[in-house]
Amino acid sequence: MNVAMVKRLILKDWYLQRVPIIGSLIAGALALSVILFGGKPGFILGLILLVTVLIGVGAQLAVATMVFERKEQTLPFVMSLPISYKEYTASKILGNLIIFLILWLALLGGSFGVLAISPDKPFGLIPFVAIMATEILVSTCLIYTVALITEHQGWAIGAIITGNLALNGIGYYVAHIGSIAKGMEGHSIQWSPAASTILAAEFLIIVLMLGLTFLFQSRKKDFI
Amino acid sequence: MNSISVRFEGVSKHYPHFTLDNIGFELPTGSILGFIGPNGAGKSTTIRILMGLIHQDQGAVHVLGRSMPAEQAAAKMDIGFVSEDMRLYAAATVGWHMEFIQSIYPRWDQSYAASLLQRFDLKPQQRIRGLSHGQRVKAALLLALARRPRLLVLDEPTTGLDPVARQEVLGELMAVLADEERTILFSSHNTLDVEQISDQIVFIDRGRIIDADDKESFLDRWRRLRLVLSQDAVLPRFSGIVDVAGSGLLPVLTTNCFEPRMISECQEMGATVQAVDTMTLEEIFVANVQSRRGGKLV
Repeated sequence: MNVAMVKRLILKDWYLQRVPIIGSLIAGALALSVILFGGKPGFILGLILLVTVLIGVGAQLAVATMVFERKEQTLPFVMSLPISYKEYTASKILGNLIIFLILWLALLGGSFGVLAISPDKPFGLIPFVAIMATEILVSTCLIYTVALITEHQGWAIGAIITGNLALNGIGYYVAHIGSIAKGMEGHSIQWSPAASTILAAEFLIIVLMLGLTFLFQSRKKDFI
Repeated sequence: MNSISVRFEGVSKHYPHFTLDNIGFELPTGSILGFIGPNGAGKSTTIRILMGLIHQDQGAVHVLGRSMPAEQAAAKMDIGFVSEDMRLYAAATVGWHMEFIQSIYPRWDQSYAASLLQRFDLKPQQRIRGLSHGQRVKAALLLALARRPRLLVLDEPTTGLDPVARQEVLGELMAVLADEERTILFSSHNTLDVEQISDQIVFIDRGRIIDADDKESFLDRWRRLRLVLSQDAVLPRFSGIVDVAGSGLLPVLTTNCFEPRMISECQEMGATVQAVDTMTLEEIFVANVQSRRGGKLV
């Protein structure tokens, strides 16, 4: 793996997508300040805004850097550079994931922080927040996987819709699991086996999806 | 140094509606190969296989001593590639593209790039989306040339260009040819462009190479013989006659292996040779394709 080349490709994508990246970082910071200083309504509003920014930037970057590369016929230019499919795939996943993780960690840290320092907010909500935040990461990785493998806008949009539906479905399902629901209103964290299992499964799915992306890319015979 | 820059051996690629069949050719270092074929003949597929962008189903491809597609990253370090369907980033400037390519290729020649900018009438601050098609092709060519590649691969670079832009692009390519170590593969369906710059020619049609030779040999061995037959004379038959046109007593024979002795042999058979016409590369290409498609050549 040519690390220097991967880095150049990542910086290229960041430069070309600098407007949505900077916009999402500003929006993310704004949402975090609303969470921190907006009281109870601000907490909910800020969380919704941050989740929206996260989903939005994940989808936007995937479509712009993966799908449009083929659609706008810049893929032959990129693939004429001294890179292999591995470097190309790694640059797309890493470049997108790093930007996403900056916002994702802000969401996670901000939410945990607010829950920890605010006596009026239920600290016991943390396992649920962790599961849902990780589910957003799963949905985003699904978009990356589909967008990279298919390079097709329709399939990418399908992955975005599927991810959002899964997010709502899993939110509803997890909130109704007795051992998790029981601790949600409490002021201490209760990591039930169900919460730990779901969280572990989410991370396993992420690893599997990213691994499958490399596998499918390596089996592609027509790269442009 | 490897004296063969590109070697294709029995390369095939199957698609549901198209097959690239048993492609084999060699491109010696320092030569310019014109790859001629009609639209859909398989030129771009062959070139994409050469670049490692499409994997062949069968056969071996070696480019600059590297096996493709396995060693494509290393091989592409020494290749400049421009294709008709290649686009640069619309939102970025010419200057940004130059800096990006410069950061990748250590042999990038900034003074040459600056001279090409001037010759192609491009400005670094111009955004790609504001350029005409001709300017975009020139920008892509600049990026390929200024990295000083050992192998230049150009897939239909002059398609869609106006005559002035086409001549500028061809002129620059001819200037590049001064470097004897530079190898060029140039594909086009425009035989006039290929005739201007190539020293070797490969004709491809319907996924198969139908003829390959150096340009001068093509031009030397293809002729049209305009005959006048007397009433009792029979039409002379030679090997290598690929087409017989014209009316009964005024036949026109097209041959792909002309020899001066044919003239005297015609006369011995009672035919008068009115003219022996040389053929342009385009006429040779069309006659070649038509005769192959008509099954006249084996």
